[in-house]
Amino acid sequence: MMPRAPRNPVGFGRWILAFLLCLALLLPAVMAQEAARKSAREIIGEAAITLDADQQKALVGTLADADPEEVVQWLKKWKEGEIYLFQNADGVDVAVTLEGDPDAEDKFALSALATGKAVTGPDGAVMRATKDELYLADTDSGLRKVMKGVTDRIALASTDYKKRLQAVQDTGLEQDPAKLVLLEQRLAVEQDTQIRNALAEAIAMTKLRAEDAVVRQAAVLELGDMGSIAAQGAIKTVRAEAEKAGQVSLVAACDKAQRDIESHISRVNTVGTLFRGLSLGSVLLVVAIGLAITFGLMGVINMAHGELIVVGAYTTYLIQNLFAAGIKMSPFGLKIDIPGMNLSGGAWDCYFLVALPASFLAAAGVGLLLERGVIRFLYKRPLESLLATWGVSMVIQQLFRLVFGANNVQVESPAFLSGNWTVNDIVFGWNRVFVIAFAVLIIFLTWAVLNKTSLGLLIRAVMQNRGMAACMGVRTERVNMMTFAFGSGLAGLAGAFLSQIGNVGPNLGQNYIVDSFMTVVVGGVGNIMGTVISALGIGMADQSLQQILGNPVLGKILVLGAIILFLQWKPSGLFATRSRSLD
Amino acid sequence: MNTPLAGKAPTVLLAAVALFLVVVMPSLNAAGVVSDFTLNTWGKYVCYAILAIAVDLLWGYTGLLSLGQALFFSLGGYMMGMHLMLMIGKLGAYKSDLPDFMVFLGLKELPDFWQPFYSFPFAALMVLTVPAVLAVIFGYLAFRSRIKGVYFSILTQALTYGAALMFFRNDLMMGGNNGFTDFRTVLGADLRSPEIKRALYLASAISLTAVFLFCKWLTTSRFGLIQRAIRDSENRVLFSGYSAANFKLFVFVISAVIAGIGGALYVPQVGIINPSEMMTEKSLEAVVWVAVGGRGTLIGPILGAIGVNYLKSWATTEYPDLWLIILGATFVIVVLFLPKGLVGVPAQIKAIIDRRKALRKDRADDLAEITPSPEAE
Repeated sequence: MMPRAPRNPVGFGRWILAFLLCLALLLPAVMAQEAARKSAREIIGEAAITLDADQQKALVGTLADADPEEVVQWLKKWKEGEIYLFQNADGVDVAVTLEGDPDAEDKFALSALATGKAVTGPDGAVMRATKDELYLADTDSGLRKVMKGVTDRIALASTDYKKRLQAVQDTGLEQDPAKLVLLEQRLAVEQDTQIRNALAEAIAMTKLRAEDAVVRQAAVLELGDMGSIAAQGAIKTVRAEAEKAGQVSLVAACDKAQRDIESHISRVNTVGTLFRGLSLGSVLLVVAIGLAITFGLMGVINMAHGELIVVGAYTTYLIQNLFAAGIKMSPFGLKIDIPGMNLSGGAWDCYFLVALPASFLAAAGVGLLLERGVIRFLYKRPLESLLATWGVSMVIQQLFRLVFGANNVQVESPAFLSGNWTVNDIVFGWNRVFVIAFAVLIIFLTWAVLNKTSLGLLIRAVMQNRGMAACMGVRTERVNMMTFAFGSGLAGLAGAFLSQIGNVGPNLGQNYIVDSFMTVVVGGVGNIMGTVISALGIGMADQSLQQILGNPVLGKILVLGAIILFLQWKPSGLFATRSRSLD
Repeated sequence: MNTPLAGKAPTVLLAAVALFLVVVMPSLNAAGVVSDFTLNTWGKYVCYAILAIAVDLLWGYTGLLSLGQALFFSLGGYMMGMHLMLMIGKLGAYKSDLPDFMVFLGLKELPDFWQPFYSFPFAALMVLTVPAVLAVIFGYLAFRSRIKGVYFSILTQALTYGAALMFFRNDLMMGGNNGFTDFRTVLGADLRSPEIKRALYLASAISLTAVFLFCKWLTTSRFGLIQRAIRDSENRVLFSGYSAANFKLFVFVISAVIAGIGGALYVPQVGIINPSEMMTEKSLEAVVWVAVGGRGTLIGPILGAIGVNYLKSWATTEYPDLWLIILGATFVIVVLFLPKGLVGVPAQIKAIIDRRKALRKDRADDLAEITPSPEAE
């Protein structure tokens, strides 16, 4: 395949030598032209058997124009030592890969790299060999550098947004001046603003290694303006070198840039903390809002509230499975086998929209049973309702363990809830944004139900004065039932939501029960608005303390302590319901 | 208000229970009839009974449902555990003077607050002091701002939760997740020998009797009267010129100390103490014992603690999957149908029979009125 110089006949002597020299110089260019028409496998197959290092590098260099995916795939295999050299019957080297599993003699079937077809012997049978009978096509550091250059170039031109961004960032971190041209070329054609920013950052970072101190200084200042977090370490190095070399203005520039970057980081952290606090507050709110109704309005201490949340979470899990492979369980020896719809993509994502009302109804149903079966006998004995519902919560928890197993089950988020949105180095996870929106929606719904519907009117009437409401003909028993079911349903919604941000297991509810009771108590029992404010307040305080102390558990303990002290100051919470009764 | 809840259990029954626990069990063990394992299990039950009395003193007699008594129980246990950890000496896995978990954490010397625990009397003093101090601080804050009813329960739950989170941390230097275990000796004697086990059991049973007698005296005194008055109507007590907060604080502290004693006796017998012992569930479990046995009596919690735990030992081996369901269902049933617990069952049955009788009598009277006697004409 390769043009080989003919044997050197004596007569032509010098001419031939000159010709050969020309040929050697032209060789790479000729080969490149030839290579452009070849597939990546063929080029790599050829490069692997080439003995001359320069020719090999030149061949690999031509790969940048070949099919990117194939190139990346085979170069990776080469680097990882999966390509071998095999001498065929004619004594010619062939680059091969090993196929399948080794047989009893540790022999592998061979497949030619260039064609992808099995290597056959003279008899037409597939050739087999052990690893020891083959030569490994190894790579040296020079060759690997060329390979890296090729893969980088491919990555920078990748059509996938995320891969391209990642490639730009990686190249920036390498700070290889040789790649400056590559980056600048890319910047000239790049359309996306975010990647343009990343390219500018990468170019500036690469320029930190420039020979010229003036260029370095400009790059340092530019990075400072950008608030480049990635460049922090590199700037530190530049500063150390500048200090050694006595370049005063460069040192000053570095200091300024570092200050800029630090203030940028603290800004990012503050906004990030506020955002996380808001989303944690929203989680608390979603979890506590049901309790604010059953405990706050009705005065029922429902220790099984956590389990109602879990009912919602497991309902989501079941609906998810129903949309996918189906439900197969065998609790208590019963065989349950419901075929699934085997949906995927956008249709599967819709499961969550079905799961929301389903989890509301499931939890409301369980709540209804709980109210009819246990709680209605205990309205006048709140302490005892605490104990009885705790008993119920243990039973439900154990039932969950028996039905779904003690381990957590996996609930996958639909595509529109995974992923995030990065603005100025601040990451906003979609699910966190969603919980905030969800909390707002639930608050609005609750408010609307309580204030704009006839059920809400009856609920408020019964809660304010049960006896008087009964005299006016309100069926208080029924209102109790509906109110409790409504509060329980809200817990179910919270469960559907929690399944999207964490694991679903039988103990899920226990993790939230203390927090949600605290939220309601701090907010002031019987006041939805108080619950909103206290949930957000506790969420913010928790996240800020975590940020300041750098320790989640300590932050939580401090918050609990702060709540106890807060109740000293306002024993009945933020918004106390005024009443003339003493008890 | 002495009679309805605090029904008078016959003195003979009390004496029989005390005699059984203090004299019969250890003698049978010494004679070889009762195995060491069984005695050890009963030792555990007896410690639980002490905890149950502590819960009942608050809940049954003062109307304060604390979900934090397991915390005080574990604190007592931890204080005793610290002493026992130091007594392991070089016998630990790392052959160091330091407790194993400290070596594991890379500590070079004992933290200062551990130093005095080499002395047994100091540890014993701490068993009483630490729960008491915590109870004083928390109780003062809670009762001063007149937090009562379910709010008190929820706050004690939060306190317990916070404390458990703290003890789970390694840098508290209290063993973190694993707590203390692998104890060897107490007061120079081998903890694993049957004699010491019997002695520990005896100490627990005698403590239980002492705690019982103390509480009996306390609750029948004038103090006990005010205690129950607070339970039934705190406002009337306040208006009568009593400082209800101080009374409640005092009971809270006494209860914490009793729970601490129970914990201190529990740890050497069980051989382990870790933060899961102070979770809210444990407190609630203690409340179950009291509810099942009968609150507002002193014999009820003892019977409840021993009975429920006996049931637990049996059910967790026979039906491990169903135990929690049994416990939960028992609880619901007791709360709904047996508000006075097992101790109250005879009275309840008697009430039903009386009502039946009264009904029958009424009916008979009615009939007599309706059917005019022929002689009247």
